[in-house]
This record gives sequence, C-alpha cells and structure tokens, in this order.
Amino acid sequence: MDNIDWPTLIFQMIWIFLLILLFTGGNQKIQMKLWSIDIRNKLKIIRKYLEDDQRKIENYMRNLGMDAPSILVKRIINYFTIEPVDIEPTDIIKRMDHLIQTSERTIKKIIADQLPDVGVYERSLVETGLAIISVINSIYKVVLHYLLTSEKEHNWVLLMQLQLIMPQILRLVETYHESLDPFLHGKPIGDTAGAYVAYRLVEEGEIISHKIVEDTSIFEVRLDDRRIYVIKAKGPGSNVGRPGIVLAQLVEELKGNVDLVITVDAALKLEGEKRGEIAEGVGAAIGDPGPEKIAIERATTKYGIPLKALVIKMGLDDAINAMKKEIYEACERTYEYVRKLIKEMTKPSSTVIVAGIGNTIGVP
Amino acid sequence: MIDLETLIILIVTATIMLIILTYLEFRKKPKKPEYITKELLECIKCNYRLEQDFEPGDFISMYKRKCPRCGGLMKIKAIYAVEKSFKHHI
Ligand SMILES: [Zn+2]
Repeated sequence: MDNIDWPTLIFQMIWIFLLILLFTGGNQKIQMKLWSIDIRNKLKIIRKYLEDDQRKIENYMRNLGMDAPSILVKRIINYFTIEPVDIEPTDIIKRMDHLIQTSERTIKKIIADQLPDVGVYERSLVETGLAIISVINSIYKVVLHYLLTSEKEHNWVLLMQLQLIMPQILRLVETYHESLDPFLHGKPIGDTAGAYVAYRLVEEGEIISHKIVEDTSIFEVRLDDRRIYVIKAKGPGSNVGRPGIVLAQLVEELKGNVDLVITVDAALKLEGEKRGEIAEGVGAAIGDPGPEKIAIERATTKYGIPLKALVIKMGLDDAINAMKKEIYEACERTYEYVRKLIKEMTKPSSTVIVAGIGNTIGVP
Repeated sequence: MIDLETLIILIVTATIMLIILTYLEFRKKPKKPEYITKELLECIKCNYRLEQDFEPGDFISMYKRKCPRCGGLMKIKAIYAVEKSFKHHI
C-alpha cells in the first residue's frame, strides 16, 4: 500500500456517496430543499405585490376621506361566500343567486357605510380594487398552505407539482396586480368590450327611452328602421350589472314579441389565437357563475327567440387590463357586425335585444 | 486508472457546465411591452380629432375641452392603451 491512487479513490468515494444518496432518498431531500427555496422566492414576490396593492388602495381611500382604511381592507379581503349544496340540485340557481347577491350587497354596504360622502363612481372603484387584493391574498394563502403542508409531510410529489405551476401562478398574480391601476383610475378594460359595443349602438341610434333597473341600463333605440333594446351595465363606474335577469324581465314585459336576441361579450382566447378576433355563434355569451346565463336561456327558450352570441377574443391579461387599441378596433368591427347581423336576420320594424356583457368601467 | 489531470479536467468541465446552466436560467427574459393609455377626442361641431394622454376619472362620452380649430366642445370618443414606443423612452 505504498502507492495509493488518490484520484481514483476520491472518484470511487463520490460514486459510492451518490449511490447511498440515491438508495436512501437523500437526493430527493436536496431536490426538495431546492424546490422549496424556489417557491419561497416566488411567494416573496407575491407578498410584495400584495403589500404594494394594499398600500395603494389604502392611500386611495385615505384621499377619499377615510381615517383608518386598513381595518376595512382586512375585513373585505377575508370575506368569503360558501358555495351552495350541489348534490341536491333543486333550485340551485336560486340559492346561488341569493348567496351572490347577499355577498355583493353586503360588501357594497360595508364600503358605503365607511365612505358615506363619496359618489357611486369612486365607491365602485374601491369595491373592485378590494376584490383584486382579495384574489391575490387568497392565492398567496393557498400557495403558502401547500408549501407548508408538503414540507411538513415530506410530500415531494406535492412540492414538485407546486414548483412546476409556480410560474403560471406568478403570471396570474402579476395580471391581477397590474389590473389595479386601470380600476383605480377608471380606464376601460378589455372586458369592457361588450358594454362598449352596446354603448356604440346607443350613441348611433335615436334614443326613445332609457331606464335603470338593478344597476343595469336599458335603452330603447331606433336604428336601421328597427326597435332595438340595448342592455348594458350602468356606467361609467366599475359595474357588471345584472344583464341576464334584466333581459329576462324585458322579454316578459314585451310578452315574448322579440325577433332576435344578441349577446356580445369578451371571451378568453386559446393560446395561439389572435387578440381581437371576432367569432359568431349561438347561445348566451356571458361568463357569470350561472344565474344570469340561465335567465337568458330560459327567457329565449320560452318564446322561441333566436339567441345569437358575438365574442371578442382576448387573453386574461387583456381582459382585466386597460383596453388595448387592437381590442378597441375589434369593438368597432363588432359594432358594425351587430348592425349587419340585425339587418340580415330580421325584417324592418322588428324588435331586437342586444345585451353588451361585461364590466362597463369608463363607458357610460 | 484515472490520473490527477483527468480528474481536474472533469471537475473544471463540470463547473463550467454548471455556470452556463445557471446563466441560462437567470438570463433576462424578454421584457413585457409597456402600455400607455390614450384618449381620442372628437369635436362635436367640426369632427376634428386629436389624441392625448388619459387622465384619471375620464370616461367615454365625457366633454373634455374646447376644440383648437373651432372652439366647440370635444367629446371623448375612445380610450385605449397603446404600446409605448422607443421614442417615448428617449
Ligand atoms: Zn371643432
């Protein structure tokens, strides 16, 4: 043993060490540590966004004359709505609608009580701003929950899955984080497309009557020798209204004497589809949890009214951020399309309902 | 049998590869385009149009300012975001 081959020995040792790691699962522990560091770094970014946004909205409320906005923020971002029982589907829509309405009304009331001297417009911006923070907050809490659980249970599969979807989650949070600015300043967003198309019909036509029901505007307009009822959320605050319920009521009021119903909405595009593409189809183009959509379907089915849908394609980041020029141009094209469709499908002096679905922020 | 030189070469290669991998991982991702919100104003008398920066609280159909050509009222026709061009940066 006088000439030991040290390099070979070191090499063999490294191999043995690696083998021991492999058989005892030690390599997994190192991997887990790396994953967990990566997730923690991304969580830190989410945390920073959350704190920034919270500060922004608190300043906004302070400017509106509120003394201690942080208490209100804390109360609203932890507000929850429990989903209705779905193993017994009888009147689930009614129950769901009741829960959604109660939740919305309560939040509106809490904010109105705290900001009594502020107009509806500013209040609607605060409501939406708080809703955005609440989304980011719940994403943060859920990710943290899975991180801590997987670490505690040494569940490397869970941790790996979390690490793999973290970039996607981070992008989602970034999208929400960026959407606070248009909402606090009252800029139209991509989702405003439907409401904007409806507004264009009102702008171009001759207004015969106008009423507001449940935060939703109904315009009776004469255009192209047809009677057109235009339904859209009441603007220019951040508001989606109740277009489905109002449309159903209107159809009943007209005793079903409607020749065509068109719904216009923004729709999420598939990856690879172009932003601002217009697609035509059949059905109710509306993305609510159910009550509004079913109201439109039931009303049109009851009287056998053709139900058409026009959608403007966009990504989620386009939909909740300031409306991009391409989408604005698509809205103008959609407006022309609606007029063409009405002329194609109905005879002069028919009655048509056009519902512009979506948040009407920045559009009256 | 491995001599010391081969071992050193192996370790050096491994280190270089690690550095390259780390560099690729942290390499700057393509920057997201920045957007700036503009509003399109149209004179209700002479239809003169002009584009200016959006101001908080503005909304479509709002009467904003006097027309520079005929003095009539100008209405906000549209509000949209456009990509910030490089000219804006400089
Ligand atoms: Zn003018």
